Amino acid sequence: MSALRALALLAALGCAQTSGAHKGVHAGAPLAEPDFVPPAPGSYTLHRIMAAPDGKVLGTDGRPQSLSRFTRDQITLLGFIYTTCADPEGCPLAYRVFDALKDAIAAAPKLHGKVRFVTLSFDPARDSPEVMRQYAGSRAVEKKGGLRWYFLTTASARELMPLVEGFGQDVRVTYDRSGARRKRELSHVLKVFLIDRQGDVREIYTSTFLYPRLVLNDIETLLLEEAGERHGAAILK
Amino acid sequence: MNHNSLVRIVGVLTATCLAFTHAVRADETCNSPYISKLIKGQEDYVYVWTLGVDGMGDGFDKLVTVDVNPKSKSYGKVLHSVSTGTRAEAHHMGFTDDRRQLWAGGLSENRIWVFDIATDPAQPKLVKTIGDLGDKSGYLGPHTYYALPGRMLVQALSNTRDKGGVTGMVLYSNQGKYLASYAMPTGGGGDGYGYDLAVNPKKNVLLTSSFTGYANYMRPLGDLIKDGEAMKKFGNTMVVWDLKAVKPVKTLAVPGAPLEIRWSLNPKHNWAITATALTSKLWLVRQDAKGDWQAKEVGTIGDPAKIPLPVDISITRDGKGLWVNTFMDGKTRYFDLARPETPRQTYEKVTGKQVNMISQSWDGKRVYITSSLLANWDKGGADNEQFLRGFAWNGKDLTQAFEVDFAREKLGRAHHMKLGSKALRSAAAGG
Repeated sequence: MSALRALALLAALGCAQTSGAHKGVHAGAPLAEPDFVPPAPGSYTLHRIMAAPDGKVLGTDGRPQSLSRFTRDQITLLGFIYTTCADPEGCPLAYRVFDALKDAIAAAPKLHGKVRFVTLSFDPARDSPEVMRQYAGSRAVEKKGGLRWYFLTTASARELMPLVEGFGQDVRVTYDRSGARRKRELSHVLKVFLIDRQGDVREIYTSTFLYPRLVLNDIETLLLEEAGERHGAAILK
Repeated sequence: MNHNSLVRIVGVLTATCLAFTHAVRADETCNSPYISKLIKGQEDYVYVWTLGVDGMGDGFDKLVTVDVNPKSKSYGKVLHSVSTGTRAEAHHMGFTDDRRQLWAGGLSENRIWVFDIATDPAQPKLVKTIGDLGDKSGYLGPHTYYALPGRMLVQALSNTRDKGGVTGMVLYSNQGKYLASYAMPTGGGGDGYGYDLAVNPKKNVLLTSSFTGYANYMRPLGDLIKDGEAMKKFGNTMVVWDLKAVKPVKTLAVPGAPLEIRWSLNPKHNWAITATALTSKLWLVRQDAKGDWQAKEVGTIGDPAKIPLPVDISITRDGKGLWVNTFMDGKTRYFDLARPETPRQTYEKVTGKQVNMISQSWDGKRVYITSSLLANWDKGGADNEQFLRGFAWNGKDLTQAFEVDFAREKLGRAHHMKLGSKALRSAAAGG
């Protein structure tokens, strides 16, 4: 069964280090496994928390597009990052979880073509399309049986902030006064958004429970829900 | 968003030379672990959710902002208040996970008032009233407002059908959209009652406690305690839920109305503690060697025969200390929790003629206490003090630093508190 294969692969990946163009940033301790038995896919409900906001974004080719182009018609896992983020519990954790999930999904044929990843920068001044292309490395290239992972940014804060606020993603400035000079810092709490085919946010993960196993269960839950709706529609015909 | 705000935001983003992410696992001692902004330094404000009193000021429930920064010229003074225009037994409140909004409600009806505390933390603004809780869920008396990512889980105390204690939880989006209801279990030892809720994400556990229904909590306390049948209608359980699925897993017998639930914030701990109002006991909830969740009575608060009525607890950030307020004797007690299986009282002080809620700063050096329990349960005459008192705690003694007399200020009955900070002004608001 493909889901079991995916879970087995996730277990193996839990001990794997991330490699790639940004190894220094993305590498870290092995991904943790949850300290509990997650509920089985389909045994719980993922509520429609809110509609994913829309706005203009830039792909790695620099072409402006609507974010909704990347949040509809497939199940989407979206996370905000900035490429200079160094906190192992922040953006790099999301990157590593996405990496693990990408391989797990590649090993599960029934998930092929049904899931995409979106990594969106909230530092447009630094993270140009070119920087995002470098950050993505080979991950932005779709391999056979894999999924598309889009690395997006925005032209400026004017385009970014409605998206940040629409998702409820915190960004704020803090001041580090520990050194001789006061330093401004950009602070946020890691959030990753699971979005269904209709563009509704169905789960919001924080670092306290961003486990690949849980995300995969949630993706399967959405697919089971879709299958149930199709079955119901077929009966009504 | 205006142009100036955008310019500031651009400045904020572009001026950032060193960018850090702060993954937050806990808030200043008693909030949801999903709340994103800690106040680790000096708090600037205490928000007090205040019950209206007929003939006192406008007589309505209100959110009162008090300046608690000792460096401020208005230290210990009321800065602002927002009236709801009604009196609905104002009780508890809670932040959304982004700490931009404060949800507050009353126990005598089903409205939830949503205050914006991000645009100007010194002057909260009422931005929304949610009024569909009763119609959607059949529950009554929203009590606990607990942040989940992008959502608020609300624990009710009663129901609209018979106004008894059988109740449930209601899930809303942060935008105020009703999402789901969850009944407190009535089978398998469950009594269906509810009071507080608190989560442990690491263990995927949601823990709930139990109190009583509208028919009891809206009744004068003197009448209630003489009614033997009514006194049987209090919760005697806590429930362990699968947090992800929001499904009950196990009902724990905790007799005597277990109220506030505090998980230890120490990352190495996986236990929670509560106090029972009627039996005056401390109970510990933790996993046994087999991984099963168990509740165990671990301590006594005052003399239970005198019914001191423990009404609120506040755990220190390291999980090694616990404040307990007892309403009847007006005492604030400190328990050493270094060994949570055997809490040991090390300090007590009368902090008012009646005391209810207790909150502490992240560093534990400042402690805030309010006076009101419920409109019909507060004491009468000279004992009916209504206040917010701020204390300094040096590890050995509480020293009162300021007092706001809520009766003299014609505000009402001071109940639940949350802390605020100027630093939490939202960037989008120009900060």
